[in-house]
Amino acid sequence: MDNQQKLIDAFTQALGIEANAVTDELTYNTIPQWDSTAHMVLVAELENTFDVMLDTDDIIDMSSVAQAKLILQKYDVNFGQ
Amino acid sequence: MISDTPVNQYSINAYQVSLEPVSDEHQTLLREWRNSPAVREHMLSQSFISEEQQLAWYKQTRIDPKQLHWVVGYRDKLIGSTNVKSLETGVPVTKARLLEPGLYIGEPRYQGNIVAFAPTLAMYDYCFEQLNAECFRALVKATNTAALHYNQKLGYRQVGTAQQGVLCTLELTYDDYVQSTQQIKQFLSRQRTTKRG
Repeated sequence: MDNQQKLIDAFTQALGIEANAVTDELTYNTIPQWDSTAHMVLVAELENTFDVMLDTDDIIDMSSVAQAKLILQKYDVNFGQ
Repeated sequence: MISDTPVNQYSINAYQVSLEPVSDEHQTLLREWRNSPAVREHMLSQSFISEEQQLAWYKQTRIDPKQLHWVVGYRDKLIGSTNVKSLETGVPVTKARLLEPGLYIGEPRYQGNIVAFAPTLAMYDYCFEQLNAECFRALVKATNTAALHYNQKLGYRQVGTAQQGVLCTLELTYDDYVQSTQQIKQFLSRQRTTKRG
């Protein structure tokens, strides 16, 4: 499974949303499922999936799917772009 | 019960944020935030605050031992305000067992963000562990689902309603607080150890 698919799976698991909803444009707090509580579940899911530990600043800044990819790239998780 | 000198002498740094006692220089910004639609809509009183009212509020609260007010700093920028009040008659915040918290994030970028937990965690740790607090009680509008979820995440339990169901009464004990906030404290306490882009 490539990292893009792993990312989608992590978002669908953590937020309880359909895979087709996980687009780069999906933004924190714009859907009821991605509130501050779900955000913590998401961070834990991403950390487990990609075996990384995010900085607090990155946890706070992870405000969209696109932003999540940019942040994960700093931790050597590549998305083939 | 009024002090001769400013009552809030407590600066708190934890969970990546700083809490500094509210002072003269913050009044313009506090009033701007307090009057913004995003903040005002969730306040129990939604009336517009005039400059005179703001200064009268500040003049009174700074010497009232029953309440402490801070401005919240994050990344060298002020982002909101938090406060705590004693709910015991004649008992100052520093001695009270039952406290009422208050918080708003004025900086739009961080409204609804996970960082909004940081000032609360910093203040609650201080009140539970350094002062005499045993319980926090919060009144939240029943329509303010974001605040209800926020408080549930901290470990609050609903214990009743007020004003014919318009308000929910929530309470938080130290044990529930400790149990409920382990993960978020861990997220907000990390050192900056990884390489950054």
